[in-house]
Amino acid sequence: MGRLDSGDGIVVAVWTWIGFREKFHYATAAILIITFVKIRFVFLDFMELRTAPWPLRMAFEVWAIAACVTLLGLYSLGV
Amino acid sequence: MSSTYEVTDSAKPHLPGESGVWMFIIGDVLIFSLLFSVFVYDRSQEVALFIEQQQLLNQTFGLVNTLLLLTSSWLVALAVHGARTGHLSQARGCFVLAILGGIGFVVIKYFEWSEKLTADLTIETNNFFMYYYLMTGIHLMHMFIGIGVLVFLWQCVRDAEFNTQGMGVLESGACFWPLVDIVWIALFALLYLMR
Amino acid sequence: MNIRNQLICAWSAVGFASICLAGFLFANFIPPISPNLSAEEVAAIYSENVLSMRFGILLIMSSAGFICSFAAALAVQMKRIEGDLAPFTYAQLGAGCISTLVFVFAGVFWTGAAFRPDHDPELTRMLNDLGWITLLMTFAPFIIQNIALGLCILSDKQANPVFARWVGYYNLWVAVLFVPGGLLTFFKTGPFAWDGLFVWWVPFAVFFTWYLVMFYILLGAIKRQAQSEPTVAA
Repeated sequence: MGRLDSGDGIVVAVWTWIGFREKFHYATAAILIITFVKIRFVFLDFMELRTAPWPLRMAFEVWAIAACVTLLGLYSLGV
Repeated sequence: MSSTYEVTDSAKPHLPGESGVWMFIIGDVLIFSLLFSVFVYDRSQEVALFIEQQQLLNQTFGLVNTLLLLTSSWLVALAVHGARTGHLSQARGCFVLAILGGIGFVVIKYFEWSEKLTADLTIETNNFFMYYYLMTGIHLMHMFIGIGVLVFLWQCVRDAEFNTQGMGVLESGACFWPLVDIVWIALFALLYLMR
Repeated sequence: MNIRNQLICAWSAVGFASICLAGFLFANFIPPISPNLSAEEVAAIYSENVLSMRFGILLIMSSAGFICSFAAALAVQMKRIEGDLAPFTYAQLGAGCISTLVFVFAGVFWTGAAFRPDHDPELTRMLNDLGWITLLMTFAPFIIQNIALGLCILSDKQANPVFARWVGYYNLWVAVLFVPGGLLTFFKTGPFAWDGLFVWWVPFAVFFTWYLVMFYILLGAIKRQAQSEPTVAA
């Protein structure tokens, strides 16, 4: 739980710091990555995938990476 | 559905709940991923509009909702842990609090949407608000289902005859709530935060 | 136990899927006629392709009845789960029969558009609109069929369940995927218009796959029933 709150804290910090320098693209990329790190903690700890059979856990890990990369890629189309 | 509910050997992999519910969760994750991809793509075609309209969103509401859901998810995990170790009163209490968190989310969503609607920002206003109402709306549907599931789980642990047989049902149901949480975390980043 | 009759009704799924799909192809409805077209453009589509469209739409309407018979086959197996007091069974059956009417009425409206292509184009477009709206916005009967089936399967407490549990979850997921259809009323373009990703492509793929998956699953259930109660022959 502490890890997740610090995720939000990091988001706010990154946002404030980079945002003020108007380098929003890097801020957004960072936010997307942090978002998926948070998501990863939710499915590992709250959905108990940490102790689940590894094919299922792997499926979610792979999805998290693929989704993050895909969204970053699509985002960059408009940058 | 045998003795795996007393997981004494932590190195042994344990599938929470039954496999069928994972199919549903995976399917739902895939559909939401598709929706998010379509959103980000459409956004890349109209970046200026999306950035401008995004300013009209209430970030405070969004952040509060995120924290509510994260806490609620954590409470559900605690409840399952309580049930597994025989602390049924802990399980009951945590489910109640988790349900209240879910209801709180819905209430805030009501205020948030009312705010937008009175400012005449509807699903047909422009593409950004189309996605805003659609994504938060589909998520809200999942919230209602999730709250229903939590109420059902709460009733399960109130039953004095709850035993390890019921753990399978409990785990299956308790896997759905973090899914709702995950979708919201992604949605919050995409709608409220990304520039 | 009536295995033969059950099998006949189960096989109607194949009849429905094949004839209906053929109909869509003949009518050139894959992808759908865009809701964003002008009345003249829609009228042009109907008048230029009138013969193949009339035939395709006729096939779609003809296939619709099989939705009912397949729903009945599912209901018989669902009743083995619920017994005498079978609300989910009846809900599924009722919803399945109403789904038949959805396809019939969509076909009726489209036929109306194709019947006299020299109409005022506004009339042609309006009838075309009604056809697509009927087919794609009516998620309500379809999802009841899936939800009833899903919940019924999940409530099966027998030692040898009639259907595997994942089928129950599958049906619930399918129901969720039909719901966005209701949104087509707001949009003429984009992923939530009736030719969009979430209103046409996803439900279309999911709907027809569901027929094939449930057909296969149902055959398995009927076969298991035949094997477990061999005293009464078909």
